[in-house]
Amino acid sequence: MFQFKIIISTIIFLILLIITSMIKNQTRMIEKKIHKLNKKISLKEKDINESQLDFHFLTSPEQIEKKVKTLGQNNYLPIKNSKIFLSFSNFSDIKKNISAFKKIDEKKIKKN
Amino acid sequence: MKKKSKKIKNLNQTSFYFEDYLETNKKNKFSKKKNNFQDRIYLLFFFFLSLVLIFSIKITHLSLSKTISFNQEIAPSKFTLIRRDIVDRNGVLISRNVHSHHAAVNPKLIKDKKNFLIKLRLNFPELSTHEIKKKLNKKKYFYLKKRIDQSEKEKFWSLGEKGIIFEPFQARMYTHGNLFSHIIGQVDYDNYGISGVEKYFDKELKDKKILKKPLKLTLDSNIQYIVSKELNEAIKTFDATGGGALLMDVNSGDILSLVSLPNFNINKRLAIRDKKFTNKLTKGVYELGSIFKTFTIALAIENNLVESQTIIKNIPRSLKCSIHKISDMKEHPSNLSVEEILIRSSNVGSVILAKKIGELKFKEFIENAKLLKSPELEIEEVGVPHKIKWNKCKLETVSFGHGITTTPVQAASVYSAIVNGGNLIKPSLIKDRKSIESKKLVSTETSKKINSILRKVVSSENGTAHFADRHGYHVGGKTGTAEGYGNEKDKINTFISVFPTIKPKYTLLVMLENPQINKELIYEYRGVKTKAPYNTSGWNSVYVAGKIIDRIGPILAINNNEFTDQYVVEKFN
Repeated sequence: MFQFKIIISTIIFLILLIITSMIKNQTRMIEKKIHKLNKKISLKEKDINESQLDFHFLTSPEQIEKKVKTLGQNNYLPIKNSKIFLSFSNFSDIKKNISAFKKIDEKKIKKN
Repeated sequence: MKKKSKKIKNLNQTSFYFEDYLETNKKNKFSKKKNNFQDRIYLLFFFFLSLVLIFSIKITHLSLSKTISFNQEIAPSKFTLIRRDIVDRNGVLISRNVHSHHAAVNPKLIKDKKNFLIKLRLNFPELSTHEIKKKLNKKKYFYLKKRIDQSEKEKFWSLGEKGIIFEPFQARMYTHGNLFSHIIGQVDYDNYGISGVEKYFDKELKDKKILKKPLKLTLDSNIQYIVSKELNEAIKTFDATGGGALLMDVNSGDILSLVSLPNFNINKRLAIRDKKFTNKLTKGVYELGSIFKTFTIALAIENNLVESQTIIKNIPRSLKCSIHKISDMKEHPSNLSVEEILIRSSNVGSVILAKKIGELKFKEFIENAKLLKSPELEIEEVGVPHKIKWNKCKLETVSFGHGITTTPVQAASVYSAIVNGGNLIKPSLIKDRKSIESKKLVSTETSKKINSILRKVVSSENGTAHFADRHGYHVGGKTGTAEGYGNEKDKINTFISVFPTIKPKYTLLVMLENPQINKELIYEYRGVKTKAPYNTSGWNSVYVAGKIIDRIGPILAINNNEFTDQYVVEKFN
């Protein structure tokens, strides 16, 4: 009876041992994947960091002015302040107002 | 079972002796075999148990240890910057850390030193091979070139020397080069701030808890560029030795632009010792001349001694104070109103008003305005104005800005306080800071009166700042032409403008150091084409300020609807 118990417990222990080693192995595989992904993320972060730096350098007023000059224009194009819209809603509001004014004008002309 | 078998054996027993003789031999043999077999099983079991024990200990150890331990050695170093970014008010990047390398040499790993030196001389002629040879002979690790870029790294790599080691480090990059040199400052190779904002906020910039949050400045890159460009052109046009310009929000004290020329490229590590590279606006201490007359007039109105329209009669052409003679550059009518004194910039008129105010109140005003103190600005480079002794003629000279020094940034902040309704402000480079002073320098009524007079300095026929009168911006201001403090050869031409004077929003200070008359420059002065008759600020600093306002006006207006509707749309539509 005693031997039987030992055998059973040994078998259970062995099964657990095997399962543990399997889980450990799988964890190791996942960790490897995580490690690879971390490496990729790290490289991407580095790329983004440097790309942003490049972007801000290339879009600095000095660089833009240089580009404008190389494109054959001596200065920035002046834009009427009324043509600058701060947002699309701002643009659509102004357009609506203009069309409303036009209609009023047309009515006035017709009346006359 | 064992007991039963024993009992059966006892029943078959024939005789004691016989049994003893035969059975004992058999029994001994059997027990011996059985013992051997059992010993082997026990041994095997022992081995097996010890194996299991070892395994279980190992498993326990592994499960208790950190999961990343197995690949810790090959794990990549996480992308972490050791210094925060610095951005402008619109989030435009000004400075950031990037990964870079130093090229170092381990002499022990270099086999053929002669060959190595030849290769270096061919590929890097700027490096001193004589020095490198000395260092190689010392056999100690040394740096060949610090902060190398990618192309240089590849060039070093192509030399194929094992002894060249690329030591990783983080380099601070400044996207705008020269543009913010006097404000941002620099860091050393160990990423410690050594000047400017980098030094002032060194701890905050290295704070690990907020590493991803950039430090936001009040500066605007676009405005800074325009101001810098115009000032650079002005220095060429008027052959000046230097200059400075400062744009400040009169209500918050936020500095939108601070340019001091000449400047330098902060991406290059150079030892800058020449005084001309000093930050003229924060560190420079100057006698700003007639700019102080505004303070005199404001003080006289504030103390109810006079009104803007009060006529000061019989103003002499000159006054004598001790051995000094005080006179005006131009001849003015002998009866001038208080506002005319400022519009025409009369020294004698200012002296008469200062005498009415009295030394005590003037001293108190200077104390409250902190004109003789270092500006409380978030950079290391701040100047200390000269201490003044209130001797016999001090009140008289101070009334028109002579014999008293201050920093341009402090003068601009006092102007802002006078025009914003009288509230003292603290100039600042940091966006959304908490502390704002709530002390009054002058009353709101006085402030309004001064705004109106400053506008007339620009718009009226006798005003000294005609060239700053830009349509739509309601510019007001005061000119100041002075000699260098303690150096009569130096000349400082300053103009502090305020716009729009209806409801002041910005103060713009333009300063030129030793400007000359440009004989080829033709001005359009009140519809007449003319050349500059004098070397005064009205003919150079004001001219530059007008050009700057013309260009930055629309940008400031875009960021502010009220401004757009009232002051810009009228002009362009």
